[in-house]
Amino acid sequence: MTETEAAAASEEAASKVLCRNIDVFYGDKQAIFDISMDIPGQAVTAFIGPSGCGKSTFLRCLNRMNDTIESARVEGHVYIEGEDVNAHDIDPIVLRSRVGMVFQKPNPFPKSIYDNIAYGPRIHGLAQNREDLDEIVEKSLTRAGLWEEVKDRLTAPGTGLSGGQQQRLCIARAIAVNPEIILMDEPCSALDPIATAKIEELIDELRQRYCIVIVTHSMQQAARVSQKTAFFHLGKLIEFGDTEQVFTNPSDERTQDYITGRFG
Amino acid sequence: MANHIVSAFSEELDRLSADILRMGGIAETMIADAARSVVSGNNDLAEETAARDDEVDLIEEDVERRIVRLLALRQPMATDLRAVIAALKVSSELERIGDLSKNIAKRVHHLSVSPDVASALKGIERMGDGVVAQLHAILDAYGQGDDQLALQVWFGDEDIDQHYNSLFREVLTYMMQDPRMIGAGAHLMFIAKNLERIGDHCTNIAEIVHYQITGRYLSSSARPKAPLLDG
Repeated sequence: MTETEAAAASEEAASKVLCRNIDVFYGDKQAIFDISMDIPGQAVTAFIGPSGCGKSTFLRCLNRMNDTIESARVEGHVYIEGEDVNAHDIDPIVLRSRVGMVFQKPNPFPKSIYDNIAYGPRIHGLAQNREDLDEIVEKSLTRAGLWEEVKDRLTAPGTGLSGGQQQRLCIARAIAVNPEIILMDEPCSALDPIATAKIEELIDELRQRYCIVIVTHSMQQAARVSQKTAFFHLGKLIEFGDTEQVFTNPSDERTQDYITGRFG
Repeated sequence: MANHIVSAFSEELDRLSADILRMGGIAETMIADAARSVVSGNNDLAEETAARDDEVDLIEEDVERRIVRLLALRQPMATDLRAVIAALKVSSELERIGDLSKNIAKRVHHLSVSPDVASALKGIERMGDGVVAQLHAILDAYGQGDDQLALQVWFGDEDIDQHYNSLFREVLTYMMQDPRMIGAGAHLMFIAKNLERIGDHCTNIAEIVHYQITGRYLSSSARPKAPLLDG
């Protein structure tokens, strides 16, 4: 093996998700064109690009959220630790517990703070008894940086929290089922700067444990929180590299134009 | 490259590089005039030259203020980020060049020129020409985004260092031959040293320009250097 082959092999080994030749169609319209990329584990990968470039669609391929859209058709392969997520024997519900998701608008269940977190572990049978469940709830809220703020009102409704707290609650809910990967689709776009800063801080802590993929419209956010950045345009992956390089010295003219605000 | 969607941003960037070039032009004249006033013993020219340093300082302050504002408001990325950082760094290099030229000019009136140093003055003149040419070239490279020219300047500093070394030896010889020359000789040494430092600032600018254009760093340690006699 040559040095470059060895480096490529070790890179592949460190990759959590391998995407190969992904095409996505909505009816007749192709939204994603032949995208292949390796997403590293225990790191944050940011997807950036103008609206409609396909970054969210591509993100949703990683936990088969596109299955829920009638007209959507996905071709190609997504391997998580070598396992093809589109294989017949993969249960999407189980897959989505391995690949959690946090959305743009915080969407807590209309239940108590406690039950928001406990819901997933209950249906997946992760807790034997109440004690186990209490522990999962506390641990998840602590990891999401919310425990101190809510520990005295766990029975209060999750919807009564502030926007930023609700979003951290949703992150805690995703963490509660022990996922390996957390997908975030513009998790801060509905939050104020302080709540945003808290989420960013949290993302940075979570990457010690999880593989995180985040779609964001804020270039500064992508630059701050991620180690790898992928730039999408018109359904194609234009550039994928180390975040520092992409933001200081992008290799593609289109990336350059987009991140410096010269597009369109 | 296409303009920004926010046209005021493009204008600010253009204005920054125009100001850097204006500042560089003044610095270039200052070096040339300072060297000329040393060679000709022209006190008036020396005073005029020293006074121009304020102009350079004012532009630098203004550039710095505007860059702080621009960073806060626009959060530039990629080439824009490199352009802004380059402008900030080049302006401080030029400000130092202004200071050193002023220092040269201020020594003119301490130099009681005796015929013995005439050949050393020739050396100062040649070295001054060399340094001015370096600054001129690097400002062209900055203005035109010419990486080749920046690299040429970067490598060109070796000549300046060699000039400095031969001047150093020459002046040292005069001082040993005639102790009455020590006062003037010391000033000449500082003048030569200042020119040599200006040459170094030109290579710093070359490194910054190279970074602005390519996004890659030049390592100072990779540059060929003539060993300096006084360290």
